[in-house]
Amino acid sequence: MIKRYAALIRNAWLVDLQYRASIVLWLLWGVTEPAIALGIWWAIAGDGSVAGYARDDFARYFFAVMLINQLTIAWDSWYLDRWIREGDLNYRLARPLHPAHEAVAENIAYKARTASVILVVWLLVAAAWPAVRLPFDPGRWAITAVAVLLAAAMRFFISFTTGLLAFWTTRATAIMELHAGVSLFLAGRIAPLALLPPAVASVAGVLWFRSMLAFPVDLLTGAVHGPGAVLRGLGGQIAWLGVWIVAYRIAWTRGIRQYGAVGG
Amino acid sequence: MPSIVTAEQLSKTFQVKVRDPGLRGAVRALFRPRYRDVHAVRDVTFRIEPGEIVAFLGPNGAGKTTTLKTLTGLLYPTSGRVEVAGFVPWTGGPPFKRHIALVLGNRQQLVWDLPPEETFLLNRAIYDIPEADYRERLAELVALLELGDVLTKPVRQLSLGERMKCELVASLLHRPPLLFLDEPTLGLDVTAQDAIRRFLIEYRERHGATVLLTSHYMQDVTALASRVLMINRGRLLYDGALEALVARIARTKRIELVLGGGDGNRVTAEALAAFGEVKTFRFPNAVLEVRREEAPATSARILAAFPVADLSIEDPPIEEVIRLAFARGVEEGE
Repeated sequence: MIKRYAALIRNAWLVDLQYRASIVLWLLWGVTEPAIALGIWWAIAGDGSVAGYARDDFARYFFAVMLINQLTIAWDSWYLDRWIREGDLNYRLARPLHPAHEAVAENIAYKARTASVILVVWLLVAAAWPAVRLPFDPGRWAITAVAVLLAAAMRFFISFTTGLLAFWTTRATAIMELHAGVSLFLAGRIAPLALLPPAVASVAGVLWFRSMLAFPVDLLTGAVHGPGAVLRGLGGQIAWLGVWIVAYRIAWTRGIRQYGAVGG
Repeated sequence: MPSIVTAEQLSKTFQVKVRDPGLRGAVRALFRPRYRDVHAVRDVTFRIEPGEIVAFLGPNGAGKTTTLKTLTGLLYPTSGRVEVAGFVPWTGGPPFKRHIALVLGNRQQLVWDLPPEETFLLNRAIYDIPEADYRERLAELVALLELGDVLTKPVRQLSLGERMKCELVASLLHRPPLLFLDEPTLGLDVTAQDAIRRFLIEYRERHGATVLLTSHYMQDVTALASRVLMINRGRLLYDGALEALVARIARTKRIELVLGGGDGNRVTAEALAAFGEVKTFRFPNAVLEVRREEAPATSARILAAFPVADLSIEDPPIEEVIRLAFARGVEEGE
């Protein structure tokens, strides 16, 4: 299986290299949203703080969002929607490799490429701007890595499962857009969850949105206090990952049964 | 030897949403969707033996491709039993998929932006093909398909014919005993079509593969298939040799004449009409259609009556036979 993944990732990178301009565009897209959010909160915070967040805290928060969002984001619903509607799933189903493996390999390839560039950008900025430096804390980084892995796995299954809805509806990507819109607020992309009204923040915590992004970001910036809170956060991630894996399995086995294998 | 493909009473029904035209229809469909059953394949039964080349014949929407997709495990049948290479296709998983190749004339697995060799390398990894086998098979396929320098050009720069050849390479590297080809020559020019046909014949000779194909081009069928399965509206109309189908359907033969004689005693169309139906006449060429069983006797009488430079007895064109077969539903010829 390692050989297969190596071959899939290699091909994904070879395709990337054909489109250097699009790499830059994707990267800009990944940087712009947190940069705008940071700009707004920077202005609002002024010399004081908002809900305990001063300017420097916002800077660290949104740099972490920039990196971890790229490490956990999944585009699979768009691919799957096209595979299913246009019949590109057909030859994938005829191969002795589950299409999900190709999707996972694509994710690894994408994340390694964008996240490594963002990491370099962060390091360069941190060299000049102390505010975005993180304290050296390997233990915290290790736990963050685990949380990022869980978040990436969960977002993959969310995206893949939503894409599978294309077996039944032509609006699968619209559902994913809606989810992205909600997660803009509930996952902490536009503001730390601590700044949301308590009721909204608790919805984000009860559902999977905090596990997607805000929790690993808070881990990295040191906003999760005490081992109890860390374990509760990781537990929530594992539970929601489990739920989405079950949803994926149901959608896959049911969907493939009624697949129409369109388009040749 | 047991059959490599068995289909018993295979049926596939799709549910298709029906919607009345206009805004009102759209709104109604939103709240109370109605479905209509489309019977793409109905009670189809056949067996295919190892090494056969079998062609599915039928107009668009006849159920050929649906049958092919069910045999490859892409579609779950609504009812019936299917066994392919000892597996039930849709539960066979990876072991089953190593036994088959699926080539779709209008869908490609080649990675568009990369040279075809990158897709081949990917398939080497996906199918766990040992390095030495990979080299040997690639060399053989490249030689048979005369691909040469194509391998290092990006797929998007290849011609349609080159792409289809590369599709075949990608699909055959794991050397499957069973090939499913859906419209493998679709849109190709005559030379490329011919190259693909010659390749398939040669490949089967060498490796004893079983080939199932669908095609719109009669030449694919006449050049490749020893047996045809005719499908129309989801039903199997005919299963057997192409020649037997022609004999059954075509009640006539064509006598093609090149007439002799000088200007003085030219044979006329009117004179020929006494022997059969004159299909074309343009001195010195003429084509007569006569009843099948009378063709030899009529030929002899024509030879006795007129100066004839050349005479041949042919079946009607295969397209004509197929058209007749579909129009009459085959059985009539029995």
